[in-house]
Amino acid sequence: MVIERRWKKWVFFYIPLTVFVVGTLFPFYWMTVTAIRPDAELYRSWRAVNNAPFWTLHPTFEHFRDLLAKTTFPRWLLNTFYIAVASTAISLLCGLLAGYALARLRFPMAGALGTSIFVTYLVPPTLLFIPLADIIRDFQLGNTPWALILTYPTFLIPFCTWLLMGYFKTIPKELEECARIDGATRVGAMTRIIFPIAVPGILSAGIFAFTLSWNEFIYALIFLSSPERKTVPVGVVSELIRGDIYFWGQLMAGALLGSIPVALVYSFFVEYYVTGLTGSVKG
Amino acid sequence: MAAARSAGRARDIRLAYLLLAPTLLLFGVVIAYPVGWEVWTSLTDLSPLKDGSAEFVGLSNYRRLLVDAEFWRATLVTVVYAVVTSAGKLALGLGFALLLARPFRGRALVFLAIFLPWAYPAGVSVIGWYWTLNPPTITAYAPFMGHLKFYVDSALGGGAWAFTSVMLFNVWRGSSFIAVLLLAGINSIPPELFECALLESKSPWRRFRLVTVPLLKPFLALGVFLSITSAFADLSNVWMLTAGRIVFPLVGTHAYWLAVKVGQYGPASALALTMGPFLLVVLLVLFRLFDRAERSAA
Amino acid sequence: MAQVMMKDLNKKYDEVHAVKDVNLHIRDKEFVVLVGPSGCGKSTTLRMVAGLEEITGGEITIGDRIVNDLPPKDRDIAMVFQNYALYPHMTVYDNMAFGLKMRKFPKPEIAKRVQEAAEILGIQELLKRKPRQLSGGQRQRVAVGRAIVRHPQVFLFDEPLSNLDAKLRVQMRVELKRLHDRLETTAIYVTHDQVEAMTLGDRVVVMKDGWIQQVGEPLELYSKPANRFVAGFIGSPAMNFMEVAVAEANGALWLDTTGLRVKVPAPLAGRLGAYKGQRITLGIRPEDLHMATSNDPADYSFDAIVEVVEPLGSEILLDVKVGQSVIVARVDPTVRAKLNDKLRLALHPERVRIFDNKTELAI
Ligand SMILES: Nc1ncnc2c1ncn2[C@@H]1O[C@H](COP(=O)(O)OP(=O)(O)OP(=O)(O)O)[C@@H](O)[C@H]1O
Ligand SMILES: [Mg+2]
Repeated sequence: MVIERRWKKWVFFYIPLTVFVVGTLFPFYWMTVTAIRPDAELYRSWRAVNNAPFWTLHPTFEHFRDLLAKTTFPRWLLNTFYIAVASTAISLLCGLLAGYALARLRFPMAGALGTSIFVTYLVPPTLLFIPLADIIRDFQLGNTPWALILTYPTFLIPFCTWLLMGYFKTIPKELEECARIDGATRVGAMTRIIFPIAVPGILSAGIFAFTLSWNEFIYALIFLSSPERKTVPVGVVSELIRGDIYFWGQLMAGALLGSIPVALVYSFFVEYYVTGLTGSVKG
Repeated sequence: MAAARSAGRARDIRLAYLLLAPTLLLFGVVIAYPVGWEVWTSLTDLSPLKDGSAEFVGLSNYRRLLVDAEFWRATLVTVVYAVVTSAGKLALGLGFALLLARPFRGRALVFLAIFLPWAYPAGVSVIGWYWTLNPPTITAYAPFMGHLKFYVDSALGGGAWAFTSVMLFNVWRGSSFIAVLLLAGINSIPPELFECALLESKSPWRRFRLVTVPLLKPFLALGVFLSITSAFADLSNVWMLTAGRIVFPLVGTHAYWLAVKVGQYGPASALALTMGPFLLVVLLVLFRLFDRAERSAA
Repeated sequence: MAQVMMKDLNKKYDEVHAVKDVNLHIRDKEFVVLVGPSGCGKSTTLRMVAGLEEITGGEITIGDRIVNDLPPKDRDIAMVFQNYALYPHMTVYDNMAFGLKMRKFPKPEIAKRVQEAAEILGIQELLKRKPRQLSGGQRQRVAVGRAIVRHPQVFLFDEPLSNLDAKLRVQMRVELKRLHDRLETTAIYVTHDQVEAMTLGDRVVVMKDGWIQQVGEPLELYSKPANRFVAGFIGSPAMNFMEVAVAEANGALWLDTTGLRVKVPAPLAGRLGAYKGQRITLGIRPEDLHMATSNDPADYSFDAIVEVVEPLGSEILLDVKVGQSVIVARVDPTVRAKLNDKLRLALHPERVRIFDNKTELAI
């Protein structure tokens, strides 16, 4: 009985779990191994003696050093961070206010306005960059971080609004009503009672927005042109691939370093993130 | 009396519009105008390559699309792409979520590991994948991957390997997100419901089909929706994983190619706009599911 | 301290007319209870007083101000909600101090008032805790404390005790009553529990379908219900109703149905004259029935067959069959009755109520 149980647990739990986890993590492993592999080993022939394709024999940090010293990678990190934080802040603010209005206030056209905010999620962004580029030129924002800070919210706000609206709906109305009787205005009740309670939802929306803006590629590729203004995803790809030459070691080193901020954000807030998502769909 | 009645309400209405103002203002500039431009352009022959102002050509761009074999091929490929990746993401994501549903030692770590692909910047991890799947010829295991590519391509046609890698990447990244979404869903279901089901039926499969799936429906619907929309609009993944040599174009990449490489803004806009109604239908169908699940839960 | 007046108060939601022509004058320091079945519009009425619902028609006055136009914060009221609505991110102290902070009271004054209220309610030890670390009863006290620190003109309670278990509910009920005697603040209290209504209220307002059915002191509602609904709603177990014919025989009026024939008591006879030959509804409270003895005149007693016996200790409830109908009698615990026993019951002639069949009003 016990033996059978254990056997089942292996087949239905440990083995699939291991397979899944190994499968998900393999690309990261691969990137790491490549990033610390000296060029000599990297480009060794298939048949060479001492060939170890899945392992690095003489680990080195030279790619990291080159990346930080010979490219503008640190600048890219800084740019990306700045842009991601700013566009996240804008989207969160808009999403908070709009989400509150849609969840709690009754006003004419509420349905229509709410729907139109979400429908923007359906607008395929494929070609929007052409007219957007015109606008950005008109406002003379080309090749500045603002070009991205102002365009990222287009895909961040709908999601933030939706998530926060759902979260607000899970908060009992009475809390707010009580605050209003206690002497707060509607805005007061919103900022002193509802927003603090919605912190898990706000954080998870913020993390989501931060990740999306950190990862964005197309707009960043099109709206920023000078190398020192680029974001990490674009910079790594466009500056470390010259023509047909791939600087694989540096690429991988850049890929690893470039994701550290996002990884940090997640490891701190993962709990909130899950509760935030839960709250939103429940409502 | 009427004035008295509207005082409080007027306050609320004013506040509501005030709260929505920043969003609407921003959207007016960065969404409404570009979409308007796209609609207008789809009715003209605007092109950066052509001198002089654009001419109004009515619906001819759309009419041309309907008889364009390229368009239908792109649509077909997109549908295949959306269906296959959505199914893959959903299956894997559900598997992850179920495995992680119950506590065990090291769950937090496994959770992070599973979440990593989504949290990781795609623009960057895609490079890792490119490196893994299409290594440069001089690298150690290149011959092996080269053979694989050769077999896939000769079985399914040139470019099939690249297309497969895009799908693999997409599933890898998306299932991570779906897993978290579904895990959140499972966590939000009161445990009594599962305990109740445990008493009612011995077969885990029946329990899964009759209890878990219906309760997760809203989350599944949301996952499918996000997955399908991203498949239709996908551009960057395909672009990067195939290094711009796209043999199997999606609607999104085809439109991009038409606009940027060929310079036909009109037909490209028309093409991009045809996605809208399709996605709307998908959304409505999923909303139905979502709604019904919610009502039966209430 | 203030009076509250509602004049022709109406509330319409899109499809529901929730409150209809409510006229109510609540005097200063009075404790008024709104009671009625679920969905009758009690909460809606209360929420209009609080300013949480728009008023569709009519006028509300608190003190001597018409408040229709005032937002809740300016009405100088405090409200206790059914789910307590404690702010989960604040400590008990901050919860209680919130209203005072919003009104810019000086810090020492806030501390003094919170301390005072905490003492009254016996929650001094809880001040540093968060709401989720409290039991239901403690949350309830905090919610009441939050209301009283402000010394408002009017307290509003919306079913504040219904989330508590039976024993705690009785205890809190007594405390609320004592609190009101001590603070002497006007209070409006909503409940669907008629016992709560009777024990707490200086006056009780019975509502149904948005209409006020009757307003009166608890005993008045019990002894002189204005209509059949109030008669059935107030009192437990509920009043028995039987449809009877009014017949004349031997120079007197009789109430007559199969298995029952009682003489119309003298004070009612005059009012019933017009109903001669018609059918009316007879209402008898279970506690107004007793086992007939030789002292009971035959005109006011009748035979019954026992169907269910419910011994409650201090009394026994008997479900008995009289003719076609089944009624409940509340009898002495010494009575020994078994299933299918045939007994003779007698009623108090001056305590029976009669109602018009059509209008359901008391005759
Ligand atoms: N926001 C609303 N929109 C539409 N109808 C409503 C709304 N709030 C209440 N109603 C309706 O108004 C009527 C009165 O509701 P109310 O909440 O006042 O009842 P209640 O007497 O407090 O009942 P309960 O004892 O169940 O709390 C009900 O029929 C209810 O369905
Ligand atoms: Mg109510």
